[in-house]
Amino acid sequence: MEVLIAQIFNGLSLGSIYVLLVTGFNLLLLVAMIIHFSFPVVVVFSMYVSWAVMTATGMVPLGILAGILSAIAVNVVTAPMFQHIMKKRGSVDINATMVISMGMGMIITDILSHTFNQGFPIAFPDALTGNDKGALISTRLISISRGQVLTLIIGVIFVLFLFWLLYKTRAGRAFRAIAEDPNGAKLVGIPLLKTGLQSYALTGILGGVTAVLMAVLLGSASAGLGDQLGHKVLAVSIIAGLGNLKGGLIIGLLLGVLEAVIQGYLAGSWSNAIAFIIMLIVILAKPKGVFGSSL
Amino acid sequence: MKKLLTIMFVLLLTVSFAWAKGDQEVSDTESTGVVATEWEIPFLNCLTGPIASIGEYLQWGAEYAAEQINAAGGISGVPVKIVRVDTGMSPEKGTVEMSKLVADALVVMGPVPEPVIMAAVPIAVDEGLYSFTATTSFEYAAEYFPWAISWFSPTDEKLPPIVTAWAEKVEAKKVVQFVENYGAWPGMARAHVIGLEKAGVTVLEDVEVPTDAVSLGPLIVKALAQNPDAIVFSCNAEKVAKIIIELKNRGWEDMNKMLVFSSADDAALYTTGGDKINGVMIYNYNDPNLDTDRWNDFRQAFKDDHEGIEPFSLSPNYYDAVYMIKRAIEETGVTGDPKKLAEERILIRDFCNDVKNFEGLQYDWSNKGGYPADKPLFLFEIQGGEKVLIAKIIPE
Amino acid sequence: MSLPLYYFLAIAAIYILMSWSIYIPYRVGQLHFMTVANMAISAYFAALMAINFSWPFWLVLIAGTLLGALIGFLVSLAIGDAPCFAVVIVGFTFIYLTKTIIENVEAFGGPLGIFSIPKVMQTSSSNRVFLLITAYALVLLTGYLIKRFDRSRLGRAASAIFIDRDLAVSFGVDVKKMGMFLQSWASAVGGMSGVLYAFIMQSISPNHFTFHIVGICMTMLFVGGYSTIWGALLAAPILWGFPLILPEVLQSWNIVIYGVLLIVVLVIKPEGIITRPMIKKLESILLRKKKLV
Repeated sequence: MEVLIAQIFNGLSLGSIYVLLVTGFNLLLLVAMIIHFSFPVVVVFSMYVSWAVMTATGMVPLGILAGILSAIAVNVVTAPMFQHIMKKRGSVDINATMVISMGMGMIITDILSHTFNQGFPIAFPDALTGNDKGALISTRLISISRGQVLTLIIGVIFVLFLFWLLYKTRAGRAFRAIAEDPNGAKLVGIPLLKTGLQSYALTGILGGVTAVLMAVLLGSASAGLGDQLGHKVLAVSIIAGLGNLKGGLIIGLLLGVLEAVIQGYLAGSWSNAIAFIIMLIVILAKPKGVFGSSL
Repeated sequence: MKKLLTIMFVLLLTVSFAWAKGDQEVSDTESTGVVATEWEIPFLNCLTGPIASIGEYLQWGAEYAAEQINAAGGISGVPVKIVRVDTGMSPEKGTVEMSKLVADALVVMGPVPEPVIMAAVPIAVDEGLYSFTATTSFEYAAEYFPWAISWFSPTDEKLPPIVTAWAEKVEAKKVVQFVENYGAWPGMARAHVIGLEKAGVTVLEDVEVPTDAVSLGPLIVKALAQNPDAIVFSCNAEKVAKIIIELKNRGWEDMNKMLVFSSADDAALYTTGGDKINGVMIYNYNDPNLDTDRWNDFRQAFKDDHEGIEPFSLSPNYYDAVYMIKRAIEETGVTGDPKKLAEERILIRDFCNDVKNFEGLQYDWSNKGGYPADKPLFLFEIQGGEKVLIAKIIPE
Repeated sequence: MSLPLYYFLAIAAIYILMSWSIYIPYRVGQLHFMTVANMAISAYFAALMAINFSWPFWLVLIAGTLLGALIGFLVSLAIGDAPCFAVVIVGFTFIYLTKTIIENVEAFGGPLGIFSIPKVMQTSSSNRVFLLITAYALVLLTGYLIKRFDRSRLGRAASAIFIDRDLAVSFGVDVKKMGMFLQSWASAVGGMSGVLYAFIMQSISPNHFTFHIVGICMTMLFVGGYSTIWGALLAAPILWGFPLILPEVLQSWNIVIYGVLLIVVLVIKPEGIITRPMIKKLESILLRKKKLV
């Protein structure tokens, strides 16, 4: 019983990473109609930037700031590229944004794999991860760290906040209007450029915070991390229903627990394959997602 | 449109046959003694992409050996040159690069990554060219004997004694092993079990480490739930470090009772682990603190060229390979005459496969049928990013 | 013939076929990466049959192709008309699943892989000539079949689905059947490439068939142009060939160059470098010349 509880906590902690990433992914879908397949790769890039600044200056807060700023920068800088593609919607479909995003992922992963730290994995200082302080709660098998609690709470808060922002406020409606029909939005007087940039910056902030939380939670990162997460994030988003924020929260956590239980009780080397098969079955049974698409 | 395709196809074939003809030039120098003016030894290395820095260290070792040899008068009085050939991690690229070499090379060093070895070495075997696969596990090189050489003996012969020595030293009773299903690692894990059982240790159920695991918590709980008193790691260096850190956070105290296998003895272990892996034991084939003039000189030169970084555990391998080639050429009277290429390749092959008392950078060893028969293994304790020697085991 | 050229051409043929295997279902807007899994499955099938049961090459080639088609068909029963993203996930699942099964089953060679796949011909050089001719004959055949399809009524229906699915349905196009047909066909091409790959490389391991192939073939298809077969045919040899002649300094940035090319082409020319109007123009010029002669 203790093992099961321990594994569920482990799963929730992994799941909270999925939740944060899926939320960022869904947000881009909602406010910009982008299938940003490589969003997790951008997040890992911010982890690297954050690490580089921390190692160079020795100042953790500066590193955190750099991580968040870099995520915003990447998002805002690449925005015109995606918008350019989306302008041609009609002749070009949404797949094109996914292919572009995959291209971005190839570039970032490759740069990370042989520039920072000679391509070796990076490790974050204890001052950030809090590893030296020990666990918050700890029995023989169950161990809950500050980072785990923080990530889960912030994940849930972010989902609720975005839900409120997008569906209950004027600004949110403007974001969604632009994504769905740029010309229509222009007609009703929404400033396209300003609102567009705001929405990209918002996703950037989410990405940056995710990067910092992942650094706290995982303590280290390697170049391939973004790709490993990217496949699952896309799957979670589809299963929950593309763009469905609440669905992403639930499915993200469930996937984390599922993986932890497979690794804990079945053979670990099968965990990815089993997780994907289960997700595949759900996708085949419910092509529009368990909670329905919000697009 | 069909015609266009046919024309293109025919054109391609014509061009390729034309190219083929151009290759078959043979020089007609009379052969008396050494005719080569320079020994060109191609080194198929992984110089670009994710593990480029490791490739660079290996390259450095080979080139340093060549420098030393040339300063001392070359091989049979003729200078030697290591030719850089990059394959990256790509098997496809490996085939093209190897196939460029098979016509003229006397011998090749490399390739380095296993997928590239699998793709490129068969081409060399086909053409009767000997490959020095000096960094890979026995199991990969053995497939191509006698046309490839292994720097290591069979996994289940060499590993058990060192693991037994560790288990007895730390008085392990119940051991759990983390195993990643990658390349030769499961085979190494099985060899560890042989060693553990010999020490009378209870071996618990393996914890399988998924290659792309993001969080390691579930695996750690699975391991701890079995109440082990000692742990063996047969997984990737970064994951080893992360698991150890997490175990330490969960109150694991006896660091000696953790053994890391040689394949995780790379920079990622130390950059990720930092001071938190102090006290952990690790085994490998070289002793970085060996105190001989030759090793000290190599070590210092490496540090001078790499901003103070210590040579890593595979650093001597291609250095030794160059010296082995030197000895083979000199003792078998290889001339470098293109006309005798095929037979001289075999001379080198047969010499190296059974070389006796070869003076390696760290120790002497002898080969038997393409692999070393008497190479030692070392057990270390990690302290502050350095390896402190605990025991040295020479298999019977 | 010259060895490096042989390997260049032989592997180029595989890349062309693999890029086409992604091209085929993309005719209806589906990114069907499962063909990479088909490549792995059929390559392993070929290696095991040739080594353990001494099956002749032709039998292995046909069986491997049919195996690809069969798997593709069975899966397409479920995802023939699925949206693009679901198809992508199916592809990923099969790539993971195939890799996991191969790594965990000792009889398939485990994580070490399979060595020494036999030659088709007695001598190395005749083996090479044979494989190269076979590979390009298959490229020719596949190209011809795709060309036939593109020009047929079915091909026009596929284009209609790509542009506007709902409209196509209202005109009576059976989206599911079309998707099933294209997916099975693509998987057959993937399987065929796998058999060729196994015999050309002579050894295979689970790490040969992973997501890097998806990235490379996708780049070849989208840079070359996804609306005609000529895009991949031209882009595959060039994109596979140029890193071989790059100076070492630039070679490290090989993948970055791929990524940049992919993005730049998609932003500037979303349909890729070679487009359908371009081919039409070229054809009409060629035809006119013929008439003049």
